[in-house]
Amino acid sequence: MRRASSKKASSNSTTSTNSSAMDLFRSATGKAATKELERIDQLFYSYSNESSGMIDPEGIEYLCSDLEVEHTDVRILMLAWKMQAEKQGYFTLEEWRKGLKALHADTIVKLKKALPELENEVRRPSNYVEFYSYAFRYCLTEEKQKSIDIESICELLELVLGSQFPQQVDLFVQYLKTQVDYKVINMDQWMGFYRFCNEISFPDFNNYDEELAWPLILDNFVDWVKSKQS
Amino acid sequence: MNCSNQKKRSFNIEAFKHKVVVDPNYADKTWRLLEHAIDEIYNKNASGLSFEELYRNAYNMVLHKYGEKLYTGLVSTMTSHLVTMSRCIENAHGEMFLEELNSKWADHNKALQMIRDILMYMDRSYVHGSQKTPVHELGLNLWRDNVIYVTGIQSRLQNIVLQLIHKERTGQIINQGLMRNIIKMLSDLGPSVYQVNFERPFLEASGDFYSIESREFIECCDCGDYLQKAERRLNEEIDRVSHYLDAKSEVKITNVVEKEMIANHMTRLVHMEDSGLVNMIIDDKYEDLKRFYNLFHRVPNGLSTIREVMMSYSRETGMQLVTDPEKLKDPVEFVQCLLNKKDKYDKIITLAFNNDKSFQNALNSSFEFFINRNPRSPEFISLFVDDKLRKGLKGVGEDDVEVVLDKVMMMFRFLHEKDVFEKYYKQHLAKRLLSGKDVSDDAERSLILKLKTECGYQFTSKLEGMFTDMKTSQDTNDGFYLKHGADLGDGPSLVVQVLTTGSWPTQPSATCNLPAELTSLCDKFRSYYLGTHSGRRLSWQTNMGTADIKANFGTGQKHELTVSTYQMCVLMLFNNAERLTYKELEQATEIPSLDLKRCLQSMACVKGKNVLKKEPMSKDIGEDDVFSVNDKFSSKFFKVRIGTVVAQKETEPEKHETRQRVEEDRKPQIEAAIVRIMKARRVLDHNNVITEVIKQLQPRFLANPSEIKKRIESLIERDFLERDGSDRKLYQYLA
Repeated sequence: MRRASSKKASSNSTTSTNSSAMDLFRSATGKAATKELERIDQLFYSYSNESSGMIDPEGIEYLCSDLEVEHTDVRILMLAWKMQAEKQGYFTLEEWRKGLKALHADTIVKLKKALPELENEVRRPSNYVEFYSYAFRYCLTEEKQKSIDIESICELLELVLGSQFPQQVDLFVQYLKTQVDYKVINMDQWMGFYRFCNEISFPDFNNYDEELAWPLILDNFVDWVKSKQS
Repeated sequence: MNCSNQKKRSFNIEAFKHKVVVDPNYADKTWRLLEHAIDEIYNKNASGLSFEELYRNAYNMVLHKYGEKLYTGLVSTMTSHLVTMSRCIENAHGEMFLEELNSKWADHNKALQMIRDILMYMDRSYVHGSQKTPVHELGLNLWRDNVIYVTGIQSRLQNIVLQLIHKERTGQIINQGLMRNIIKMLSDLGPSVYQVNFERPFLEASGDFYSIESREFIECCDCGDYLQKAERRLNEEIDRVSHYLDAKSEVKITNVVEKEMIANHMTRLVHMEDSGLVNMIIDDKYEDLKRFYNLFHRVPNGLSTIREVMMSYSRETGMQLVTDPEKLKDPVEFVQCLLNKKDKYDKIITLAFNNDKSFQNALNSSFEFFINRNPRSPEFISLFVDDKLRKGLKGVGEDDVEVVLDKVMMMFRFLHEKDVFEKYYKQHLAKRLLSGKDVSDDAERSLILKLKTECGYQFTSKLEGMFTDMKTSQDTNDGFYLKHGADLGDGPSLVVQVLTTGSWPTQPSATCNLPAELTSLCDKFRSYYLGTHSGRRLSWQTNMGTADIKANFGTGQKHELTVSTYQMCVLMLFNNAERLTYKELEQATEIPSLDLKRCLQSMACVKGKNVLKKEPMSKDIGEDDVFSVNDKFSSKFFKVRIGTVVAQKETEPEKHETRQRVEEDRKPQIEAAIVRIMKARRVLDHNNVITEVIKQLQPRFLANPSEIKKRIESLIERDFLERDGSDRKLYQYLA
């Protein structure tokens, strides 16, 4: 269900601050392009919050239900990535435009159709690292925040790596929940885990060498798994 | 000179061309002359011969191109004489065999010499030109072929010689002079004759002899005896060589003895039950050990075998020492045992092992190994030093003090966790300085100097600060009394030590209500001090002070009590009350309960120091226990010390706390090392970072690779470093 909102005639006023961007948009192929952009904008306003001028978490929920996707689905995260959205739970007009233009979607229907392709694009190995690191940064809500609490990390891991490396994620989540040394995870450890899943043979960890530069938390994880196995 | 008819021509000197009448029998005649001479020489009838004549004849023969005839003749004549001689020798019986051989050899040599002299010209010209063997050598070869190599003689000679040697080895006396001549004969005949006919069989026979003997000995002797016997045999063989063998054989025969008697039984000797190496070490058998060293020095792997046994035994006993709960009860005893052990082994290495550096190193490494297996070693060594500096050094001469301190420094060097030692040393030094007793200043300074030399200025700067504070405080005190002395009159007198925070071990400040007489005095001091040092903050450390108080007991007994500040506060309360409960004491003094309980226990429950009475008389302190002055207190001493400020082995929770503080202190040190290294190298791989950090921190403690990793990650998080984008093993320094 679309949220009713008064369409602001000041679609121009919101763009007055970034007119150059607007020009870039318009510099495309004339009328058809302009029409597309207009529709993208309109779509934005149907979800955005009047006072803030952004789509907020509530708006995103509506968006999700229109797309027939759970708002905890990884595809929303992928969409955010495509938009390079900065703040978790919010989309600005710029971001919206960026994402939908790239997806060639100016209606909900088209957007929905674009999702599988988006998924494929993200899952390409070259993009996935970027997406993976984006996912971490996206969850940093405070300014100067550098790490994420264990609870959230566990959820994020499930979301982002759960389908690709289910066993590793399961074990690691178990470990994170039982250990007491770490209360938060930082970017270095986050990225380390991804490399770990890709490079280390599982479940024997035969090629793991804890004298190398793996983050300490992974050394402890491997020890924990090995002691469980014996 | 050739006279010719040439007149007035220049003189030419031409070769002699003697127009001799060529007598067809000339050669034969001349040869027969010489042959006869040779016969006479061999028959020992040379006195009738004219050397000149014979020489000339030989000379002429060679000159007239009859060298070959002469030579061949010589060979055959000499040969026939030698054959005769050899028969004589063969016919000799028993002991005469060698005598015969020896005397015939002498004869032959004498003859050979004369013959050589006579035939000297032939040697020089004919022999030289036609590349025949020179006379002397010829004579030797002929002797060899016609005497020594004769079947009847060759093996007989060998056997007899070996038998005689065997005889001598079994303790009988043989004719060494004769042996020497015979053996010299063989070596004169050439190295291969000596080796084939004597040396090789000699070595083989010796090998067999010693193999048997060593096996006999090892069954019935203990280790020390066996080694003595081996040494004796070795010396015997060396003597034998010098008496009658060729010097080159010495190395070979000693090798045989070494192999058979020592190398083949090395393990058994070293590990012999009840008498082996370990037993000798235990019993300090320096002579035996020295023999061990000298003998095993000669065989491959000998020294390393001894060294390993010594090392593993010292390691084993060391481990026993550091894991024995009985020994660990008394820290001073423990360290004394360590020092004694080191002394023992040092003595052994000096007296018996020739001060061998590799042994010294092995000993040091085993000490290093087990000392660090006891995590309390740093604390115990500091307690040992504390004990010695507090009371142990009175009456000990200055040099002896140095000796003890140097030995302690040796133990200190073995420690991996030198920073832990520093922490304890600081604590104990503080207690020593503040105890009010005389401290042996020279000895203290000497030790700090040694620590500074070993570890650098940083290690000792705070310790030196503590000494400075003590001195400065004395001056401050003097200044205070100079200024205010008159005002204070007969009141209690104050001695203040002003301690710079940071130099002294940190103590949490605790509450304590001082008696009224003292609070005003303390305040006066405070304002005096802050008057001259504005901007500083003073806080009274009531848990570290002492007090001397005069006490009058009910029986009329007077004593002067030396107590801690806490104890003083408690006692002063009894000036105004007969009985006080624990609760009341706690309220009045506000001393923390654990400390208050300990202080009360020391005054009420310890025999000889029970200036207070406690009801009930139990050791534990309950909230409602009642305390009163023990009027029946008695002591033979006027001055009674009831302090609790002496350094002691830490309790479990205290130990745990100190360990935690040490770990916390290490973190910034590790980080500083990492940053220093990365700043210098800019980019460095993980393993090298770990190695460099461990190396840099080694003078203070052994850094743990996991802990270093943790610090690296922390530094990454704080943007001091980052991982390299492409090579995960590299770190980059972020300026």
